Parts: sequence; structure tokens; C-alpha cells
Amino acid sequence: MEGARRSYGLQSPGTRGVAGAKRYGMVIDLRKCIGCMSCAVACKTEFGVPLGSWRTWVKVSDKGRFPNTRRVFMPRLCNHCDYPVCVRNCPTQATYKHKEGFVLQRYNRCIGCRTCMVACPYNARHLLPAKRTDNNLPHMVVDKCTFCVHRVKKGIVPSCVQACVGGARIFGDLNDPKSEVAVLASKERLTVLKPELGTSPSVSYIGGDWEIMDEPHSYTNRTEQLKEEFNDYKRNHEGDAFADIVEGEPTMPQIGEHAIGFLKTIPHKAADVLKAFRIFLFG
Amino acid sequence: MSGFRRRSVLKMGAAGAAVIATPALSPAMELELGGNDFHQIRTFKPREKGSYLCTMCPYFDGGFTFSELDQVKKCEGDPNHIATRGKFCSKGLASLFSVTDPDRILMPLKRVGARGAGKWKEISWNEAIEEVAKKVSASLDNPDTIHLNEGGFKENGTQRFMDTLGSQSVVRSRYPSIGNASKQIALKKMMGVDFLFPDLENTRYVLNFGCNIMETALPLAQRLSDGMVNNKLTLITFDVRMSNTAGRSDEWFPIFPGSDGLIALAMANTIMQEGLADETFIDTWTNFNSKELASALKEFTLQRAEKASGIPAKSIKKIAIDFAQVKPATVFSMNGISLHKNGINAEAACQLLAVITGNIDVRGGSCLPRKFDLFPPQPAPDSAKVDGKIVLNHTFPFEVKEGSRKVSILFNHMSNPAYSSPASSLWREVLKDEKLIPFSVDFSPFMSESAELADLILPDVVGVERHEVGSAPTSAWPWVTMSKPTHKPRGKARDVREVLKKIIETVDTDGSRGMKQFWAFSNSKDWVKREILATPSLKKKYKKIKKGTWPKYGKIDTLTRKISQKSGDPVKAKFGSFKADGFPTPSGKIEVPVLAWSDNQGHANLAEDQFVLTTFKVAYHTLSMTTNLKLLAELSHSNPLWLNKEVALKMGIKDSGLVRITSDVGYMVTKAWITQGIHPQVVGLATHVGRTAYGRVAKAERDYRPEWASEEQIDEDIDYNLWWKDKGTNPNDIIPVALDPESGAQIWNDTVVRVSPAEPGDQYGDIHVDNDKHLAIYKKMLGGA
Amino acid sequence: MEESVVTFNVFHHVAWGTTISVYFWLVGASAGSFVISSFGWVFGIKRYKPLALTASVTAIGMLLLVPILLTWDLGKPVRFIYLLLPGFWHATGPMSWGTVLICSYPMAMGVYTYFVIKNDIFWARATGIIAIVLALSTHWYTGVVMELNPGRFLNHTALAPLLFLTGAFISGIGLLVLILTMQNLVVAAEKRIDWKLLIEMAQYMMYGLVFDAFLLFLEFMQSIYGSMNVVLGHEAVLMGVFKFPYFWLEIVIGLIIPFLILVSPLKRNIYAVVAASFMVCIGVYGMRVWWVMGGQYLQSFY
Ligand SMILES: Nc1nc2c(c(=O)[nH]1)N[C@H]1C(S)=C(S)[C@@H](COP(=O)(O)OP(=O)(O)OC[C@H]3O[C@@H](n4cnc5c(=O)[nH]c(N)nc54)[C@H](O)[C@@H]3O)O[C@H]1N2
Ligand SMILES: Nc1nc2c(c(=O)[nH]1)N[C@H]1C(S)=C(S)[C@@H](COP(=O)(O)OP(=O)(O)OC[C@H]3O[C@@H](n4cnc5c(=O)[nH]c(N)nc54)[C@H](O)[C@@H]3O)O[C@H]1N2
Ligand code: SF4
Ligand code: SF4
Ligand code: SF4
Ligand code: SF4
Ligand code: SF4
Ligand SMILES: [Mo]
Repeated sequence: MEGARRSYGLQSPGTRGVAGAKRYGMVIDLRKCIGCMSCAVACKTEFGVPLGSWRTWVKVSDKGRFPNTRRVFMPRLCNHCDYPVCVRNCPTQATYKHKEGFVLQRYNRCIGCRTCMVACPYNARHLLPAKRTDNNLPHMVVDKCTFCVHRVKKGIVPSCVQACVGGARIFGDLNDPKSEVAVLASKERLTVLKPELGTSPSVSYIGGDWEIMDEPHSYTNRTEQLKEEFNDYKRNHEGDAFADIVEGEPTMPQIGEHAIGFLKTIPHKAADVLKAFRIFLFG
Repeated sequence: MSGFRRRSVLKMGAAGAAVIATPALSPAMELELGGNDFHQIRTFKPREKGSYLCTMCPYFDGGFTFSELDQVKKCEGDPNHIATRGKFCSKGLASLFSVTDPDRILMPLKRVGARGAGKWKEISWNEAIEEVAKKVSASLDNPDTIHLNEGGFKENGTQRFMDTLGSQSVVRSRYPSIGNASKQIALKKMMGVDFLFPDLENTRYVLNFGCNIMETALPLAQRLSDGMVNNKLTLITFDVRMSNTAGRSDEWFPIFPGSDGLIALAMANTIMQEGLADETFIDTWTNFNSKELASALKEFTLQRAEKASGIPAKSIKKIAIDFAQVKPATVFSMNGISLHKNGINAEAACQLLAVITGNIDVRGGSCLPRKFDLFPPQPAPDSAKVDGKIVLNHTFPFEVKEGSRKVSILFNHMSNPAYSSPASSLWREVLKDEKLIPFSVDFSPFMSESAELADLILPDVVGVERHEVGSAPTSAWPWVTMSKPTHKPRGKARDVREVLKKIIETVDTDGSRGMKQFWAFSNSKDWVKREILATPSLKKKYKKIKKGTWPKYGKIDTLTRKISQKSGDPVKAKFGSFKADGFPTPSGKIEVPVLAWSDNQGHANLAEDQFVLTTFKVAYHTLSMTTNLKLLAELSHSNPLWLNKEVALKMGIKDSGLVRITSDVGYMVTKAWITQGIHPQVVGLATHVGRTAYGRVAKAERDYRPEWASEEQIDEDIDYNLWWKDKGTNPNDIIPVALDPESGAQIWNDTVVRVSPAEPGDQYGDIHVDNDKHLAIYKKMLGGA
Repeated sequence: MEESVVTFNVFHHVAWGTTISVYFWLVGASAGSFVISSFGWVFGIKRYKPLALTASVTAIGMLLLVPILLTWDLGKPVRFIYLLLPGFWHATGPMSWGTVLICSYPMAMGVYTYFVIKNDIFWARATGIIAIVLALSTHWYTGVVMELNPGRFLNHTALAPLLFLTGAFISGIGLLVLILTMQNLVVAAEKRIDWKLLIEMAQYMMYGLVFDAFLLFLEFMQSIYGSMNVVLGHEAVLMGVFKFPYFWLEIVIGLIIPFLILVSPLKRNIYAVVAASFMVCIGVYGMRVWWVMGGQYLQSFY
């Protein structure tokens, strides 16, 4: 987890191991994960995360041949990387690395350009759709896991950790040698996702299974159900990027459709522009 | 970022820091494990806290609701609750969404037009109560024609209502009809209790027969999970398919359906033969002595078990020996054995293993349940006469159809037989028939498949709005938790107890019929208070219970996550209470039943295309209670048919290809899921999904607009973002009724079906059943039984 | 190896799509056209002077569409202002630089065009040099903005800007050939551009095609000898879902056929040249499509 102290963009220099400084991180003990998805639901209720978007989720994989089989769970969330590509690439400083370990989002700066989504190697970010349950909450900006900074600030563990039935998610100050995360970090063998990218994640796993942690594997070994669901998702969920390709259907007509979809947004976006001008000019 | 405002343009230079300030975290602080909640952006204001008892499943976890601006925003477990320890499962966490469910029924509805035509009009509560009271009064000279179909995990005044009216016609849904009756009956006979709490946290060896602990018994699962890492316990699971629990077990044995009992008996035999049994325990605490027991077990050889179950004799032997040698050890079982013929024997056989190894009520063993049994508020009508004569949920429609049971009114509470019961197509036929059921009332807050066929819907409140008190045997300590809603029920929804009270008061205006006296409580809150006051062990504790949970054994330790005393040591449980009090059986001892096993489970000789159909639960739903909740439906909305890969290859069935499942009464068409995780002679379908009612989420139709749902109920998230199209299929139409002769329970998991690739013209979701065949099977069953 | 199947996962959207690929194409074509425009005034190749104006107007025209597309793509268009405010500017974000370039490049082109119209050789040349640097940078940046995402294996290659620039060069010429042909069909005879010039331009395009093929070959080599991600990127994405834009559009229609036309005797036939130009243009669009969307596609399963 420790790396050279490089720094890019709006990233505070790593505080891992710096005396007196805090450095929050999460250890996920996969030996304890029971795949209940309480974490995902707790997170969604905490933030009103809309359908079709996830700050955290649990991948499931079945291994082995009958009768020697087992099931593997893999909770996923933003890694709060020490060297976050998302932060580095954001053009408006909307996302930044907090010195205590959080990678955070400033909605009022975010322009929805999705550069950070392209940059994040872990799919940890999503664009909030135009409509959600509480339309007073941000929308059409990019959002992600915040490590529940609003709770940690008040002295409570993140929502997903609170809810974790198996007790698999453990959160705390890695710099505090007495904290559970620090103890685990020194006692157990930890793995992180895509270590080769040099992002230096703050989320690490005990007992990770390489196949489910591996990106190409997720693509090649999916069930047919998952493929169909994926396509349903692409067909029926608005991504606002006009890029979603439905597997098994020719690409170019789809891209044509995206272009038409794009044109169809002209009225409401124009209204948005006009409204902005009106407000700007006449208050 | 709602809209572009001038203010924000002007502020932009200053980086708009006001909206979400960079949170400056204060130094050195230990993170609490919950118990508070804050607004997530802008204000970080704390949310209002209320105590909450989750009743989405029978485990009744205690926790909190957190609300803001008159709306519950979050539910979570109480970290200092001895059983819950802060953990709610996904269903408990999402239960608050039933309040804002856009398809929820918020006012009394009366049918217009034909039954089931889906046309409703709103009526006032007074009108509704008048109407029911009138019908009830008219039927009072023959009160047994008034029926109640009850499915609640806890009786909510409905039983009292029937007792008051003097009706014995209570149709039991969860217990003992279509739920896990055999288990309860077996335990009751054996030890005088209906549940044994497995102390998974402290045990070192777990034998799990057909319980999917990690998906269906979450308060136990958290202990199992702790034990797996902290105690390095060994978890052995017998299941016909790889559930989450089986998939995370040290060893999963794909067992032939219905043979668990025999395996348990063979294990017991081995343990006795190897001399590993705790003979003193057997001799002192059972009605057998160890020699008799050993010889009675002799006939259950490993070979016999191997033949029936397909599990190699040497594996069974090894497990038996390990189980007997590792101390402490525990056995747990559930629907996997209990929903089979012979369920009572099988359960008894499994628990026998814990008995002969002396693992009863020891730390880490199988413990007598610790909970408070709540008494009904006093004064209560005499309900003794009702006992012993139970109307079974799954035979009820047949009796009505055949004319052997006359119904004048049918009340339905917390049950959805038109979906959840076997032969549900016949249930629907009967519910729809105005001649058979002249008047029906459903207290459902949602438009369930059953409510759709009612004449009157009197919407109850939902979980987080309900005053409730409850206790469940989910830890080594007893506890009781009280739900205290922080908000009024939404719309015109009313607690069923208050509605029933009004009905009784209208029927018996002046109290001359002697009914009114039993309904003296003022409202549901008062009901709960009276419930506690009526319970001798809790009577004096009302003030404490009012705060949420009682007793408080200590506080959770943030590091060990155990409830600890002030000194920092985890609280200690007491074991072995039976040594002083004996077992609550007539003899005060464990009464080992007659050990019998019939090898013929009715599906021993399966043809190549015949399979045993198992239907099972998933972690993110409770039958019908959660089906329209968006977050849970998003996680689980379809249920392809589990099919062993090798078999599928042989039959030419492709992953996600359409298959036809044919039972004795009809067929359904669904998709196949080709997996390595299921016994080759078994196919599996998850229940909960495949809805024709409830609303836009359950039906996966985001444009669906039921007429009873008002505009202000709309959740734009659902209308705009709901993305899935596959809503699954429900097998219960093609599952014929089948009674276990001993317990009377539906033997769900003994259904034999044929599976074949779909035929031309078959569409996903097609279901064709012949209700006459359902009837014929019922008649044959009666003749045979 | 034992079997292992992912049975549950959640889904993600691809963040950049059709709009971005169109934008990349426009910027490229603009830069390419502008390079041709500069031949006469900046590099002093006299015979190119007549088409300079058309070329730079085309370039400006293409580029004017860009901000519209991009702001529109933001969902709430007005927010683009944040990109221009100093308090928001973020030096490590490639897009910050892109914004500067996209804003300054059309301005430089405008000034240059003004001097071309004024026939001011010195200033046209001076501003032309600045504009050409900006033109190349603008397009270089589109490659970079995709390249600097280490998680997107198909895009994370140092060849990216080169591939983009080559594409820009050939599509710019292609587009210009098409526009000049149309212009020739409508304007008076004396104002027509010599067809021979178009044929000559097409030859530059041919060299571009050769270089493009070379770059693609390098990429291909690396992908089939690369890590599983890249191999899969090639197999499942480029030759799978994105086979049409990648293989058929870019390689067959956009590369092989035009190349064959341009090296065969057909190269002197203006119709064939126009057809080849058209094919190159859509071929380059095919490349923009797979480059933008394909690179993200694979990861959206992870
Ligand atoms: N998430 C969730 N939790 C629930 C509920 C819910 O609906 N959802 N409902 C609650 C209620 S009412 C109940 S009764 C309990 C039920 O809890 P469980 O009994 O744990 O649940 P089931 O899924 O009914 O059945 C358990 C397992 O039995 C297996 N099985 C089938 N046949 C056999 C067999 O012959 N032998 C063996 N060994 N296994 C077999 C099935 O594959 C299945 O995995 O759960 C309670 N908790
Ligand atoms: N195929 C198959 N079928 C099964 C099973 C299986 O394993 N496989 N399991 C069986 C088992 S174990 C059981 S216990 C039964 C359960 O079957 P049922 O007892 O019928 O339970 P549910 O289907 O959950 O229906 C509960 C009803 O209560 C309503 N409801 C929800 N919340 C409230 C509330 O707050 N107030 C009121 N008044 N109503 C409310 C819901 O809308 C729904 O109509 O199903 C059985 N059915
Ligand atoms: S996981 Fe992605 S979003 Fe999170 S910090 Fe790393 S790069 Fe950024
Ligand atoms: S979408 Fe928002 S956070 Fe992401 S890069 Fe663009 S401005 Fe930054
Ligand atoms: S830390 Fe908070 S925001 Fe992040 S996944 Fe957990 S609950 Fe969601
Ligand atoms: S809540 Fe915990 S145990 Fe459950 S799936 Fe999430 S990480 Fe695993
Ligand atoms: S396990 Fe049952 S009682 Fe506990 S939170 Fe889940 S649904 Fe509620
Ligand atoms: Mo049940």
C-alpha cells in the first residue's frame, strides 16, 4: 500500500505512516463476507443512490466443478486511491484527495464531463441521473463513494461498515497502530485491486480470489443471465453519454441511435440554457 | 446542482466552498459502530431517532429508524442490541421504502365491477367499517363461516378478533401450513420448545442440514461469520444446491432430496458404535438409555444412508466422527428438511446428533431458545377452544371449492396465498368466486395478488409505522424490543388493531354482546403497552422497554464487536438451565421419538428427465413483503431455473435458454441457469419474484400507473431509472398441494417435475395449469392419507 | 483450470460516447484541413494558395461545432463556464489544456483567415504558424485525453496522439477534397481549383494511410503480445463488438480500399479520388468510434 510519495493534481501528499496524521482506509475480510449485500443497500439508503447506480456493490462468482464448488464474494467500492487518476484528470478541481485519505467530490464544481469516470480504473464513479427520488439532491453530476466522510467526521463508521452483517468491512485509521485496520494490515496478507496501475488503493482485501479480482475474467466468464441483464441495463437506463452498446447487436446503427438520442435532448437542454440566461439577466 | 442559479454564478470564483465544506476531521477519535445518523450533505444535521423492531422476517431484529422532515430516511440495527449487534440485513435496511412505495394503498378501497377486474373506488373509513360490521353481524349466528387467513409473524389482534366473534376458522399460513411446521413439531415433541438456538459464535463445528443461514437467518449468520474467522469453526452443509451458505462452507454435500434424516441417523449410529457418544448425558437427560439407543440405531447403516443420499459412506463416517470429537459442536436445520415428507423424523434425527454428543445447551452447542413470550393484552377472550383445530392454508381452498367448508366472510392478514401457497392458481379461482366467498376483506397495505381479488381493502400500516413489541430466540440472552414510530402512518393507512377495534365496537355498540370488553385498548400504542403489562416477566420493565430494547447487557466493543460489560469483558451467557429446571416436556427429559425412517420418499425412482423441484429463498426478499421495494428488486428480480451443467449438456439446454417445467397439474416456461452448483437430479427456482400484482417495481413496468396511487406518491427514481425487464416467474401455480401426513405441512421440496427444452411457441413466463387436476390430486391425497 | 463464473455483478455506463467520437473526428478533420490551408501561406507552396481560404473556413467551421457538441454533452450545458474560470482550472487535467486549445485554436485560425483574405503575407504566415501549432496541439490533446487513463488498456498507449494526428491528417485531406469538389461544382469556371491539385493532395493522403497502417500494425503487435486485458481488448472488443467500426470501417473501407485506389492507375481519376477521400473520412470516423467507446467498453463489466 505504501508507495513513493509522488503527487499529482489536487492530491494531498500521502499521510500513510506520518506520525500525528490520520489516514483512513478500509480492509475487507473476504473470509467473513456472506454476500448479504446489506452494505450495498445501506449505502443506497444513506445517500439515496438512484437505481442503476452504485457506490458499492458485491460481485459474486461460482467456482469449481460439481460437487467441488464454492462461492466467492467481492465487495467493491471506490478505492480512495493514493494516486487517484480521477483527481488528476478532473478539469475543474471538482474532485480531490483529502489528506486523511478520502477522495471527495464537490458537486458545485462538477460539470458532468465524466472525465473522471473514464479515468477511474475501478468503475467507482457514476453520473447521477437527471431524475431521482429527492430532486433537491445533486443530479447530472458525477458521484462516488465518499468513505462516508459525513459520518466519519461525526465519529461513526461508514454506513456500509455499520451494516455489514458478516463484519467483513473494517474501517479505521491506518496510522493508528491500535486500530483494527492497522492490526489486520500488519497481521494478514492483503491484496488490492489492479496493483499494477500504481493507484495505491486504500481499500484492501483479505483472502481475495484472483479470478474475481481480475478484469478480463469478469468479461469472459459471465453467465448468460448477466449478459442479458447487462443489455437490459444498456437499453433501459439513461446514461446520458450516448455510448452504451448492446452486445450482440450491430454497433453502427446503435451509434446512429445515440446520435438521434443526442438530438432529442436539444429541447430540454436548450430550455436549461435559456433558463440560465434568464436568471442571469433578470435575476 | 438543481438548476443554474445566479447565486452560484456569483459564488463560483470563491470556489463555492459553502455548499460542501471540506470536512476537517478532528484528531484521535474512536469510530462508533453506529447508533446515530446524519444528513449526508450540506448540513450534517443529526437525524431523529426512533426505536424499531424489524418484522420483515421471523428473526425480529431490533434497531432504529432515523428520520428527517417527517420521513424515515434510514433504518439500521441497534449496535448495543444483544442479538442484532447493529446489523440489519438488506430487507431490514430497505424496509423503510414500503412507506414511500408509489403503489402503496393509502385509503380504503372498495371494488367496483367484477372481482379481480382491477377497478376500485376510494371509500371513507366509516363507510368501510360500517360495511364490514354489517356483514359480520349478519354472519354471527354461524360464526365459523367467518374465516381469517393469517400469515403474520406475530398475531396483531386478528386472532383476538376471531376469538371475540367466536369463530374457530383461523387459516394458518406460515405456521403450520406452508412454513417450517415439521421442525417446530419435532422439537416441541422432543424438547418442548420450538427452536434451538445454535451458538454459532462459540462453536467449533457446525452441521447444517438444509438451512441457508447466510441468506435466511441473518442474526445467526453474523455469528457464523465471526466463528468462521475467530474460532476457525468447521461448517458442513447438506443442501441440494449451492446456496450462499453451502458455497461458503468448508464442505458442501449435494444431498439427494429428503435423505437428510437418514444421514443423521447413520451418523448417530456411527457415533454410538465408535463409542464417541456422551453416554452420561443420554442416560440422565433422555428417555432412552444409551444401550437401547445404540441398538435402536443399528438399522441405520452408513451403506443405507449412502444409497439414499448419494453421499459416500466414508464421508458420512468421517463427519460423524469429527462432529463427535470436536467440542463444542452444533446442528442446525430448516426448510431443507422440514419441507419434506418425513420432516418430523428428519428434524428429530438431526437434533439427536446434538443430544447424543451432549451438545445441548452448552456454550457453543444447540441451546434452548432464550426469548420472552408475550402475552395478549388483558382482558382477552378465551381462545382455548380454538387450539387443536387448525385450518390449513393449503387445503383451505380445496375445502371451499368442494363445498365442505362454508365461508361467509374471508379476512386476509399478512398473507398472500394467491402467490405464496401451493396450487395458488386454485386459490385465485376460489378467491375470485363470489359464490364460494361472498365477501372478502384484505388488510394489505399493498395490492398483492390476493388483495386484487378482495372486495374491500383496508390498508394496514407498514413496519416502520407500526407500534410493535417482539422477541426472538436469536442470541444466548433473551431480549425484547419495542417499535416506536416517529411519524404518523402515511395517507389514511390505519393499524389493523385499531380497525378491528372499530369493527367490533360497531358490531357490539353497547357492549351487550360481550365483545367490546376485549377491545378496551385505546390504540395500537396502548395495545403494545398492555401486551407488555400482561406478560409477567416484563410487567415491571415497561418503562425500560419503552426506550427500545431491554435488557441492555452492555455496550458493543468497537474492536471485538461483542456486547461487553463496563469492565471490557464480553458478557457471559448462562448455559445448562435444564439441569435445574428440566426440559419443558412431560417427562422433563428429552423425549427421543421413535426412530423410524421410510426409505421411500416418493421420488426414489426418477426418470432421466424427471427432477425434484426445490424452491428456495434468496437473501434480498421475504416472499411478498419486499417484492415492490426498489432496492431489493434491483438486486433480485429474476429466478432462472437452476440446472446441473452436465445434465443440461445432455439434454441440450443452453444457459438462459427457455425450458418447460411440467408438473402433474400443468407447466410453466422459464429460463435455465446452467450451474455446477446443484444436484443432478434436482432443479431449483427461487421464490419471491414473478409478480402479476403489487406495482411498477415488482412488475418491472415503470409506466404502470395504478388508479389508487396518487401523483404525489410518485418516486421519480423508479419512473425514470428502473432498468430491468426480467421479472421472473412464480412456480406455485404448478406446485400441487402435498401434505406431510404427520405434520400437515406442505412438502414443498418433494415436488417432482419434468424439465425439457421449450417447445415452439413457448414464451418466457407462460404458465398453464389445470385446476381440475389440482382438485384431483387433493382428492387422491385425502383418499390416500 | 477449474471453472469460475461471475454470477452477479452490477452494470456501468460507458462515460464517453457518440458525441465525443464525433467531436474527435471534427477536431481531427479541422486540423487536417488547416494543415493543407497552411501549405500555401505558411510553407510557401504557391499552388496551394487558392484553396487556403476554403480549407481554413472548413477548419473553422468544423471546429465551431465542437464547443456546441461538448457543452451539450455536459447535460447541463451552461456549466461549461467553469472550465474557463481561473479558480477552477486544473493543470494536471488534460481536458483543462484541451479547453485552452479548443478556445485559442479557432481564434488563431480566425486571425490567420483574416490576413489571408487581406492578402497580408507576413501576418498570415506569422499567425499561420501559431495556428498550425495550435491545430496540431488540439488534436494531439484528443489523443492524450484518452491516453492518460492507465486503466483503459486500449487507449493507454504512447502512440495515441500519433494515431490521432495521422487520422487527422488523412481525414482533413479527405474532407477538403470532398468540399473542394463540391465547391468546384458550384462556382464559376475560373474560380475552380485545379482537379490536379486534388489528385496531388490525395497522394499525401496515401502516404498518411501508409503511416496509419504502420501505427495500427504496431498497436496490433503490442495487443496480441500484451497482457490479457489488451489481448481481450483486441479479441472481444475490436474484433468482437466493435468489429464494424474497427475492421470494416477503419481498416477495410478507410485504409485498404483507398490505398489500393491511390496506388493503382485509378489515382489519376478524380472520381476514384473523391470516392477514396470519402472512404477515408468515414474510416477515420470508425477509428474514433472504437477508440473512444471500445476502450471503455471492456471495463464496464468489471
Ligand atoms: N431472506 C429471507 N429470509 C427469510 C425468509 C425469506 O423469505 N427471505 N423467510 C423466513 C421464513 S418464513 C422461513 S420458513 C425461513 C426459511 O429458511 P430456510 O430454510 O433457510 O430457507 P429455504 O430457502 O426455504 O430452504 C433452505 C434450503 O433447503 C434446501 N433444500 C431443499 N431440499 C433439501 C433437502 O432435501 N435436503 C437439504 N439438506 N436441503 C434441501 C434448499 O436448496 C435451500 O437452500 O427463512 C426465514 N428468513
Ligand atoms: N414455492 C415456494 N413457496 C413458498 C415457500 C417456498 O420456499 N417456496 N415458502 C413458504 C414459507 S416458508 C412461508 S412462511 C410462506 C409465506 O407466505 P405468506 O404467509 O403468504 O407471506 P407473504 O407472501 O410474504 O405475504 C405477506 C403479505 O403481507 C402483506 N404485508 C406486508 N407488510 C405488511 C404489513 O405491514 N401489514 C399488513 N397487514 N400486511 C403486510 C404483503 O403485501 C403480502 O400480501 O410462503 C411459502 N411459500
Ligand atoms: S477508485 Fe477510482 S474514483 Fe476512487 S479514487 Fe481511485 S481512481 Fe478515483
Ligand atoms: S465529471 Fe465532474 S468530477 Fe468528473 S472530471 Fe468532470 S468535473 Fe471533474
Ligand atoms: S463508505 Fe459510505 S459511501 Fe462508501 S460505499 Fe460505504 S456507505 Fe457507501
Ligand atoms: S454487508 Fe458485509 S458480509 Fe454482507 S455482502 Fe457486504 S461486505 Fe459482505
Ligand atoms: S434478518 Fe429479518 S429481522 Fe433481521 S433485519 Fe433482516 S428481515 Fe429484519
Ligand atoms: Mo416460513
